[in-house]
Amino acid sequence: MSEPVETTRRGPRPGWDALARAALRRESQEDTALRREFVTFHLDGDSYALPIEAVREIVRLRPITPVPRVPAPIRGVISLRGEVVQVLDLRLRLGLPREEPTRATRVMVLHGDDGGVTGLLVDSVRDVLRIPEEQMRSDSGGDHEAVAALLVRGNEFVSLLDIDRVLDLEA
Amino acid sequence: MTARRKTTKRRTKAYREFVSEAEEILERMRDDLSDLADRRGQGADVDPELVNRLFRSAHSLKGLSGMFGLDGVSELSHHLEDVLDGLRMGRTAVDERALGLLDESVALVAQTLEKLEEGEGAGLDEQAAELIARIDGWARAPKAEAAGEGELDLEPAMQRALTEYEEHRLRENVRRGRRIVVVEANFDILSFEEGLAELTAAVREVGEVLSTLPSPGETPEAQIRFSLLVATDFPPEGLAARLELAGGAVRPASRSAAAAAAARSEPAPGAADATAPAEAEAAPRPRAEELDAEAEPAGEADSLAGGDLASLKSISETVRVDIRKLDELMNLVGELVIQRSAIAKLARQLRQDAATARLGAELEKIHKGLERKLQELQAGVLEVRMVPLRQVFEKLSRVVRRLRRDTDKEVRLEIRGADTELDKLIVEELVDPLMHVVRNAFDHAIETAEERLAAGKPREGSIRLEAYQRGNDVVIEATDDGRGIDAEAVHRRAIERGVVDAGNHLSRREILDLVFAPGLSTRDEVTETSGRGVGMDVVRANITALGGVVDVASEPGRGTTVTMTLPITLAIIQALIVGVAGERFAIPLNSVRETLLVDPAEVQRSDGRELLNLRGEALPLRRLASEFSLGEALREQKQYAVVLGIGDARLGLLVDRLEGQQDVVIKPIQGPIRSVRGIAGATEVGDSGAVLVLDVSALVEDSRSREAREAPARRAP
Repeated sequence: MSEPVETTRRGPRPGWDALARAALRRESQEDTALRREFVTFHLDGDSYALPIEAVREIVRLRPITPVPRVPAPIRGVISLRGEVVQVLDLRLRLGLPREEPTRATRVMVLHGDDGGVTGLLVDSVRDVLRIPEEQMRSDSGGDHEAVAALLVRGNEFVSLLDIDRVLDLEA
Repeated sequence: MTARRKTTKRRTKAYREFVSEAEEILERMRDDLSDLADRRGQGADVDPELVNRLFRSAHSLKGLSGMFGLDGVSELSHHLEDVLDGLRMGRTAVDERALGLLDESVALVAQTLEKLEEGEGAGLDEQAAELIARIDGWARAPKAEAAGEGELDLEPAMQRALTEYEEHRLRENVRRGRRIVVVEANFDILSFEEGLAELTAAVREVGEVLSTLPSPGETPEAQIRFSLLVATDFPPEGLAARLELAGGAVRPASRSAAAAAAARSEPAPGAADATAPAEAEAAPRPRAEELDAEAEPAGEADSLAGGDLASLKSISETVRVDIRKLDELMNLVGELVIQRSAIAKLARQLRQDAATARLGAELEKIHKGLERKLQELQAGVLEVRMVPLRQVFEKLSRVVRRLRRDTDKEVRLEIRGADTELDKLIVEELVDPLMHVVRNAFDHAIETAEERLAAGKPREGSIRLEAYQRGNDVVIEATDDGRGIDAEAVHRRAIERGVVDAGNHLSRREILDLVFAPGLSTRDEVTETSGRGVGMDVVRANITALGGVVDVASEPGRGTTVTMTLPITLAIIQALIVGVAGERFAIPLNSVRETLLVDPAEVQRSDGRELLNLRGEALPLRRLASEFSLGEALREQKQYAVVLGIGDARLGLLVDRLEGQQDVVIKPIQGPIRSVRGIAGATEVGDSGAVLVLDVSALVEDSRSREAREAPARRAP
């Protein structure tokens, strides 16, 4: 997977978990100065991305235990090999309509220091996008304050999320 | 000054451990030195054990500081060791100058450590060098001749086995005209260390143990024989009876008597019954000779004999483990438990199908075995985390000794139950609150000797620390016989500070509980000894953070008891699993007092609150479903009330179902929301994901403060 995969098909694609994990392991070894890597995923039909460094792993949806007294986007907690991690429904966080999970639904687990590991609930994970930095455009007046920049991929835009703002639930 | 650069950079964990260990050694040395000076001042004999301990401390300090590149300290400790060696060997007498040099050295090392702590680097090397020069000068100067030593008349084999120090002590005792005897005893191979320690302690009460030697001779199967060379004023017969020797004997150590004893180690007259004399007779002779032959090279035997070897051994048999590694192990065990439940499910499925029923039964059997072993594994990992409270208690007793020295108060610290075990993490966190409680008692509670005598109390005050296990909890009580808490003063102060409303009537218990409120202290001034003005509120916060409870009881003029109740471990707790709506929650069992089935008709309403008449007492009720907004509470159905208790406060929590009891491992909840009121964490139960663990103290506290807010309104006409 040295070049971004062009794809027109949306929805579930088998093996993305493994691919994403392999990409994670590979880290950024070569020409990092020129290209950056992003994990792309879908929410309500649109493409979004997060810097690959922010993502620890991607797992299938597992039973979520609801937690009382938390803001609505926090759907609850999952248990992850001995860790108990809050799951943030990215749809709700970005003001998109709530949707029942499907077979493609994934939890992107973000690194977090000092007890801050968080799971992000997304419709499906697409692929790893490697693009030169000049193809990133800072997003002015975008749809949501949590969108940091737009990435150009062929003839479509991918919204790059600002992870700190996504996780700041007080705002 | 290369040491300086090296050391300032070393602010690693290992380094911090070094500092705390070195501080402990210094504290012990200070205590021992002052005891030594005291005894000398009283004209008493120098306690050889004291000098020995000082010598060992200096030796440890040398090794430690050398390892961490503190050349100055290492060098100084090396010279200290020399001085102390001279004292313990009787080469030099314990005089004013020697004590002065020792005091100065300990102070300088302490100063060096302090500087290091503040990150200033050592920088005291010059002072150390100057002090070392003075020590050398003292060592070369002619000194008061150590008293000459007595003549020996000892079995040659035994004499060859003695170290220089032991021989010195032997001569010293002979010179003083004490009787030298050999105490022989058999011990079980498996537990000889304990038996030997017991015997040694018993002998110390009546004399001095000069040397402990494994002893050749016939011993029953799986037993080992030791000879203790003892100096005592007791006659041998009386000694044997007093020591209640099992299968042992006491005989004179003189050469003439040795001949008879060596022929056959016959129980001396007056010795207690030998455990198995017949067996001893029957033991094959060649075996005894082998032992004899092995013990022959006496030059090596002396290294076997000394106490130094024993201490080395105990070090090599202990392993220091980072507690986080144990947490990881615990996690792994938790995962295995979950895997196991998957196997159980599979086995059940296989059994249900006639074609695979036998296979299923087989698998079930294997599963049972796995389950048992897993439980053992879990218990084993837990056990490793457990440490006795002894260390903390000893620290406290050192603090009290120091306070006693620094002030003129006479206070005795009594310690009970030091063997009670607790999770290592909890023990660490207990040091500060306990220290505070003890200092408080010393400083505020115990009156001066004059006041005490005037009140008809013994001159010496007493603080008693007692620990014991109660079910899943460990209780630690700190009791003093001081002046007690002036409830009136506490109440007045609380009103002044606006902590409570002057109009509210409070019971004595409630008033006493106010000592845990922030900003309340019964005495205005903060003295040197009571520390940084940390109040009982911090003590309560610390204990609560550990999942514990702290309470105080006090009688004016009689004393005060602070009771701390703590869970034995943080890692694993017993929990009651309850169900509300579609959800399950775990409630730590140590705060569950009882559970009741409640008919809706029994629930009484008063001012919008729900109450239950529980044996004549009004139990406030809360519905977990409404607390956590889990849909409409089922008001028409029977529900279970889980009666929660934190200290004296009670709360009935209404839930739909009780699902049983389980050992659970509490995990922190990770994520953007750092804490949720009422939730202590989460745990995994079976393979169905996470289950939230309720924070009972928060729930009870919330309920109580709601009560308090509403109470005055209700009392108004």
